Amino acid sequence: MKSKLWSFKFNTVTLVLIPAAIGINYLGKLFAGVLKLPLWLDSIGTVLAAVLAGPIVGAICGAANNIIYGLTMDPISTVYALTNLGIGIVAGILAYKGFMKNIKGAIITALVVGLVAVVISTPLNIILWEGTTGNVWGDALYAWAIAHNLPVWLSSFLDELVVDLPDKIAVVVIVFLICKGLPKSLISLYQRDEKIENLD
Amino acid sequence: MKSISLYVDKGTLLNRIAPESKIMYIITAITVPALLGNRLAGAGFIVLSVLLLLSGKVLRKTIPLLSVSGFVLLTVLIIQGMFRAGNTVPLFSIGPVIFYREGTSFAMSIVINVINILLSFCVLILTTKPSDMIENFIRRGFSPRFGYVFISVFQIIPQMTETMSTIADAQRSRGMETEGNLWVRIKAFIPLISPVIMSSLINTKERALALEVRGFNSKHKKTFLNDERKTSADPYLQIILLIGILATIGWRVFVWLA
Repeated sequence: MKSKLWSFKFNTVTLVLIPAAIGINYLGKLFAGVLKLPLWLDSIGTVLAAVLAGPIVGAICGAANNIIYGLTMDPISTVYALTNLGIGIVAGILAYKGFMKNIKGAIITALVVGLVAVVISTPLNIILWEGTTGNVWGDALYAWAIAHNLPVWLSSFLDELVVDLPDKIAVVVIVFLICKGLPKSLISLYQRDEKIENLD
Repeated sequence: MKSISLYVDKGTLLNRIAPESKIMYIITAITVPALLGNRLAGAGFIVLSVLLLLSGKVLRKTIPLLSVSGFVLLTVLIIQGMFRAGNTVPLFSIGPVIFYREGTSFAMSIVINVINILLSFCVLILTTKPSDMIENFIRRGFSPRFGYVFISVFQIIPQMTETMSTIADAQRSRGMETEGNLWVRIKAFIPLISPVIMSSLINTKERALALEVRGFNSKHKKTFLNDERKTSADPYLQIILLIGILATIGWRVFVWLA
């Protein structure tokens, strides 16, 4: 039996999944910092929640994540709530369509999620920073591109692409590996089946 | 346990006024300079925010928040100053590197805009307890169940950070390397993060049970543990700020039509 894609029913377990996912996002970023990895890895929780509980929960996780960051540590991150919302929706839809079943599908998901993140972030970067991202490699490319008279939106797109795509590929592959290892009893908690089968 | 919120209660006026008024202030501080399209307005709001933060005795606390974005602002200044299309008039040079007037001036407006946003947010987040703010939203009609979701984040993250250091120690004692070349560090990521994820997912099940037993899904009207944060000045403050925004919108429309 297939569960509904746009199910709006929040049982308590799915609601409690949201703060846990936000915590996982936070820890991913923390670990990436501790291990000095050149990636952010700050959307593992969002993608995981989207894969487990669908696009709506994924979107709420993504947006709530950045709003809470904004209210505590980094006000600017509130603006990027839109990006994380997009990541949650896209990852949820693709997982529902069965893309997260094997590694090939996971890579396709990663590319689509990465592209969506770039497409949403680029206009935000342009409005706020005139296109730079604060990442050394991405900004070096941006500087090269505008010095060669490429338009700002294209330079900014390239800047964000170089930074975001590898990050999202890493995130989705990590989520794929973790989902492989999750016990069935845990996965079934979040499935949105509305029909309950009785044995008697 | 270390909280992730930077809020401190200093008992000042800023601590006492309603979170809604401070949110209105943020909206005003961002929209008014954007509508006026004037750098001086942004600078004016920066000065106002600094004065407010001084009165709230939290100006020093803004440093960690500013430093997060400071680096990006520096790259903006360097890149726009040196490479922006239309750069013609040199402003100053450091060795072989020339900064142009147009780009630097343009970068300065970005810097003012971003610092204005940061400081106006600081007025809210350094003087408001997150759970007080969310309780006020629930009083205004925000779903209490989602309110719980937001409040619990502030409890879960310190808990998970503690679990994380336990796991890091455990994995190191089993011989996992967390330092070395990039590949070694990438390989360390999965054994570090996956136990935290597993345990937090298992915890959600228990937490859900605990909540349901305590009437989480009850449809009855819920009461509040804390008193509402507000002062008698709040309604006036909010009206003044609203009038400010509407007046600027009116001015903008008038300029367009004229």
